[in-house]
Amino acid sequence: MKPSLRMLALAVGAAIATGPALAEFPERNIEAIYPWAPGATMAASQVIADAMGEELGVNVSIVSTPGAGGVKAFQTAMANEADGYTLIDGYVAPLVLQPMQGNADWSYEDFTPLWSATSNAFAIAVRKGDERFPDLDALMGYAQENPGDLRYSPGTSGSLPHMVAAKVMQTEDALAQLVPYPEIDNAVRDLRSGILDFIVINPGVYRVNKDDVDILAVLSTLDRSSETYDGAPLIGSLGIDMGMTDLSPMGWDWWLVSNDTPDDVVTTLQDAMGAALAREDVQQKLLDMGYVPTLYGPERYDEIVGPVEEQLSGAVDAIAWEVERMQGL
Amino acid sequence: MFDLILQGAPLLFTMQTMLLIAAGIVGGLVIGVLPGLGPLMGIVLLLPVAFHLPPIPAMGMLIAVYIGGSAGGSISAILLRIPGTPLAAATLFDGYPMAQKGRSQDAIGLSITASALGGLIGGVMLVFFSPMLAAFALRFGPPEYAAMALLGLTTIIVVSEGSAIKGLLTGGLGLLIATIGTDEFTNAYRYTFGNFNLTSGPNIVAVVVGLFAISEFLFQIGGGGFLDTPRLQKLVISFRALRLIASHKVNLVRSALIGTGLGAIPGAGGDVSAFVSYAVARKFSKPEDGYGEGAEGGVVATEAANNGCCGGALIPSLSLGIPGDASTAVLLAALFLLGFFPGPELFRSNADVAGGIFLAYLTGNVILLILGIVLVPFFGTVLKLKKAWLLPIVLLLSTMGTYALQNSVFDLYVMLVFGGLGFLLRRAGYPLAPIIIGIILGPVLENNFRRSLLLSRDGPMIFVERPISATILTVVAIMLCYIVYTLVRSGRQDTAS
Repeated sequence: MKPSLRMLALAVGAAIATGPALAEFPERNIEAIYPWAPGATMAASQVIADAMGEELGVNVSIVSTPGAGGVKAFQTAMANEADGYTLIDGYVAPLVLQPMQGNADWSYEDFTPLWSATSNAFAIAVRKGDERFPDLDALMGYAQENPGDLRYSPGTSGSLPHMVAAKVMQTEDALAQLVPYPEIDNAVRDLRSGILDFIVINPGVYRVNKDDVDILAVLSTLDRSSETYDGAPLIGSLGIDMGMTDLSPMGWDWWLVSNDTPDDVVTTLQDAMGAALAREDVQQKLLDMGYVPTLYGPERYDEIVGPVEEQLSGAVDAIAWEVERMQGL
Repeated sequence: MFDLILQGAPLLFTMQTMLLIAAGIVGGLVIGVLPGLGPLMGIVLLLPVAFHLPPIPAMGMLIAVYIGGSAGGSISAILLRIPGTPLAAATLFDGYPMAQKGRSQDAIGLSITASALGGLIGGVMLVFFSPMLAAFALRFGPPEYAAMALLGLTTIIVVSEGSAIKGLLTGGLGLLIATIGTDEFTNAYRYTFGNFNLTSGPNIVAVVVGLFAISEFLFQIGGGGFLDTPRLQKLVISFRALRLIASHKVNLVRSALIGTGLGAIPGAGGDVSAFVSYAVARKFSKPEDGYGEGAEGGVVATEAANNGCCGGALIPSLSLGIPGDASTAVLLAALFLLGFFPGPELFRSNADVAGGIFLAYLTGNVILLILGIVLVPFFGTVLKLKKAWLLPIVLLLSTMGTYALQNSVFDLYVMLVFGGLGFLLRRAGYPLAPIIIGIILGPVLENNFRRSLLLSRDGPMIFVERPISATILTVVAIMLCYIVYTLVRSGRQDTAS
């Protein structure tokens, strides 16, 4: 080997050897795997991703990977290397619900939290000006007297809104026929035309359709949830205790990474997400879309997520109760 | 109607969107010019790119490919007597004789001009009729959507190339593929075989790229002639066609309206509309016009019709979610992937997107008029591209695009499996378009059928108790009777012969 070639080889070898050591995370774009089809909720995640990208100096893109109630997104993310370039937009359904139902083999403890992102309360809505149901009492009264006669949709069957609605109906001993609509927009259409009697929606859907629906009850115990439905009554204020409090009856997401992710990378991501969520413009954008920034830091992950499973098990039972009662009619 | 346009304007008139529409037109023309490829292939190859773009630039680009590809096929038909796409088959009748008489420049100019103006007329119809149809469809519920999906499937089978039986079989295959994934009503997995990649069904883009692009790649390899280059007349930029077409005004408008009308019927397609409008133009012509021997009117009729057809095919696609042909089925898939659901709700909840799509269609045709004429010499060069270069490019674009969707190797397997399947089916003479229509309409049919039964307090009677649903189902029944009648008649003829 000529001296010049040897020097070149040494230089290249040195560059390769020292490269990883000198490289600082992140060097390239980051993907956040999102478990649902694109829509209003994904737009909220994109707001956070954009702000986080600005903090990190790289692009953070939301990759919609719907399927199997969110399980596919988690599996897709976990199949990637735990290097911090794949984040999980960890919604409650795939994080807590699916493992509870035996559809996934992980627990929330298998993931390292960055920050909690947003929450959104669900609400029971009827067609605007529907004289049959001026309030929740009238709706529940009808469903008690005419079990299985009303048609309702919480979107997808077995989803969190379905569980919460079933829990309320079980509490009230009221029964209605479930009609699944994976695209909730179509459920709103059929509510408007009178085919459905009531639906369970989130604030994003409410914002778009507020001229067509009346909110009878917000299914949350948190005062600020009412604000996202323009002051509609909370379920508790109507004298109904659905046995679920705080985040349990709500849709929420924590951004997560695999437990195998290096500590320094996790710290960088946590700092960036914390800084992004602390920005007033980001918070305002999310609120405008109907999503409340929860602002729980990673240190509160166990305290917040841990109790959810216990409270949700009651809601899972409510769906079984609904199925059994409908089959008995 | 004008509200939609106004709301869509800010989304359309951005540098990114306009550049992508222009690029789509050029790309569509190029892919239309190349024999064997066509607008569907162009849309398929760009679908993975569109997935990473904002909605209007993405849809604008894909629609531009649809427009450009529908127009481009005429160039090779005129110059080589090989239609670049089936849509341009009727353009042969007079386009090629015009070229033989040394008027290839005029023939190409007329075909591009007629395509663009025909497309604009189709666009006006689209803007006018889509919101009306969508407003009417606001009365639709699950029974009506189930009936419409059945109508779409039946129509596609009736008019599918080859026999109705083969159309039925491949349509049925599409319906079967649509059942793979998670049952939306019970959350049960269906035909996933424990593979989580299948829990939301095979990726539609990978399926489409496999069925159309990979199968075409295999077909082209079988055809040989990798280093062939055709000899062509010299082409220059000329705007003379704009003057020539002025003497074919009535023919142009009539043909564009025929194209739009037939395009709006799911399954009729551009090739049918081109032949029908050619026959009508010939019927109204004088003997001295010399149809079949290089008549300008023949080129105008076919090209105005097959591009008017694009606007027509978008009418049921956007307002009802029922695709007019395989290309619009893939455009619908793109719209789904971008997070929008075609149908009345698109016009209600995302009026800006609907308006942006209308404007993109109209703008695409204007750009086609300009670029189509300016780039004529370039298309001559494209026609000289050897297969040895073209085929690796198709394979590269297909593979990269499909992988980039979700960085998934599994999607590549899906692409290859469907590529092989598409190749075998085409070799056996089975149409592929009904598979895609089946995959798109299968979930619409199944979910709305099941939903209707859950909503009904009277079992299946819900389908006949509602007047719109009952009417649509009556049309379906008539069509099915027609299919059975033609099958029995052709069976008897075969026996007699």
